[in-house]
Amino acid sequence: MLKKEQNDYITQTGPGTPMGELFRCYWLPVLLSEELPEPDCPPVRVKILSERMVAFRDTEGKLGLIDEFCAHRGPSLWFGRNEECGLRCPYHGWKFDVNGQCVEVPSEPVESGYAKKIKLKSYPLIEKGGVLWTYMGPPERRPPEPEYEFCAVPLKQTYSSKRLQECNWLQAMEGGIDSSHVSFLHRGDLHNDPLFKGAAGNKYNLGDLSPVFEVVESPGGLLIGARRNAEDDQYYWRITPFVMPCYTGVPPRGDHPMHGHFWVPIDDHSCWAWSYDYHPTRDLTDDEVAAMKDGKGVHVKNIPGTYIPLANKTNDYLMDRAAQKAGRTFSGIAGIGMQDASLQESMGPVCDRTKENLVGTDNGIIMARHRLMRAAKALAEKGTIPPGVDVEHHKVRQAALLLKRDVPYAEGAKEALKAKKGVRQTSV
Amino acid sequence: MLSESARMSTAHEAGFRIQEPNSKQRSIKVIALDPSSAVLVDQIAKDGWSGASFFTSLSFATQKNPDSASDGSVQAWLNDLAGRALDLMSEVSTCDFVVVVTCAGEDARAVTIIADACALYHKSLVSLVVPQEGMSEQDVEISLKHLRPHSRMLVVAQGIDYIEVMLSALRAG
Ligand code: FES
Ligand SMILES: [Fe+2]
Repeated sequence: MLKKEQNDYITQTGPGTPMGELFRCYWLPVLLSEELPEPDCPPVRVKILSERMVAFRDTEGKLGLIDEFCAHRGPSLWFGRNEECGLRCPYHGWKFDVNGQCVEVPSEPVESGYAKKIKLKSYPLIEKGGVLWTYMGPPERRPPEPEYEFCAVPLKQTYSSKRLQECNWLQAMEGGIDSSHVSFLHRGDLHNDPLFKGAAGNKYNLGDLSPVFEVVESPGGLLIGARRNAEDDQYYWRITPFVMPCYTGVPPRGDHPMHGHFWVPIDDHSCWAWSYDYHPTRDLTDDEVAAMKDGKGVHVKNIPGTYIPLANKTNDYLMDRAAQKAGRTFSGIAGIGMQDASLQESMGPVCDRTKENLVGTDNGIIMARHRLMRAAKALAEKGTIPPGVDVEHHKVRQAALLLKRDVPYAEGAKEALKAKKGVRQTSV
Repeated sequence: MLSESARMSTAHEAGFRIQEPNSKQRSIKVIALDPSSAVLVDQIAKDGWSGASFFTSLSFATQKNPDSASDGSVQAWLNDLAGRALDLMSEVSTCDFVVVVTCAGEDARAVTIIADACALYHKSLVSLVVPQEGMSEQDVEISLKHLRPHSRMLVVAQGIDYIEVMLSALRAG
């Protein structure tokens, strides 16, 4: 459990909050490239870390992420005209460039220099791996660009999707490091999902329902190992990396692409659940991409034209009691992503952690919270740059492997946990 | 038409959560496996935890404790901070779970006897390894190797900070 003050501290990410300041140390995924597909395309409203912005790609292809509201009388620039290297407010024609600089105030003579005095807050927006990323902290602390393997491999080897999740980011992220729920909540899907099935490792998951866990701190966050018994005096290890503040990897299965998530706060009551899938050494197949687009694996089928899941709280997540009873799904909800999201949203907009009763196997979650709060405190008090900013921390891989029982796990899995260009993932 | 889920998951509805406590006081036994970790455990214990009791060492005796719940096959004694020796078996039998603490590289073999008691009474065992100043990765591995076969959860955690955080997260406070 957390005390009320601790729960507030760790869940609130708006401007000026300690966790908000922590999040403002990192590049965060904001939009899919497909949302700003070409120069002068329609602008997109963005809310991240409780700040409202509008993103656009200008005539020259430059990306901008600026304050949503026109500096003149305050309408949303989402109604703006994206033309001739700037976003023009349709009300009185003021125009802003990708840096938020006002470049035209039609009512005033150009010579007056009035436009130069007007500037909207803006943040850098960069494109990497089919994803647009922003950094919302002070310019002097701007870190190098993200180097997570999923956004570093060629585009044909990677696929990302996002979905709206209507609850605080932390309860969503905690699902990503809560390895002990998999054998229950997702047990129906290991055999059926095209992006999981057929892996040799699946038999260990289903054969040993009470794994034991090991949690160790890594330079960028945590490694959470789940260990199950396997034949020939071996252990089957599944190792989940967490990189601060909100990146989680899912240990792979067979030669299926590797997947994981980013959990990005929109405001304190909602977040974007980002899901990536990539293969380190080969292009994704057409079938794999089709399955991902169809909401299989960690992805979710969204309402066409939106990033809102088709199964959502307004339709009771399409609860299927017959499937639940028959054991086709454990919770009655179809698909891994929505199995998680439905339960997490049902906790309420911000989970009341004063009421939870954690057990020993929840130490991954306890440690993640501890590290986040400790880092936020060190940043606030001493200006310490938190773990996960250094791009070396991004180069961690999830892994699934068999190790002899007497092989030290740190040694046996050491290479498997490093992202290495052109080297296949370690997976059973 | 809004579904029940949509209605029930609003911030407003969260306000109607029943406020009655949903759990009873925990009883956690925290046991130091070696002299270095005993120093840490001793320090943590000073904060006063209503749901945890702390033991700084393990000793063995030949005669049976008259108050013991055990059959006498394992005669191990836990020494608490007040200098009392309490029977391991009865301590474990009445607790919710056991946390053992060891400093990396120290001799953590006493865990086996505690693990036996946990197995007998079906209690889960959480093991914490605390890295020490100047220790190597091998030191941590030695500790892990001793603890791994017995622990349901094994954590490598910096300093007493984390132990306190964990105890409070587990409602030992
Ligand atoms: S059983 Fe774990 S949340 Fe209910
Ligand atoms: Fe899950």
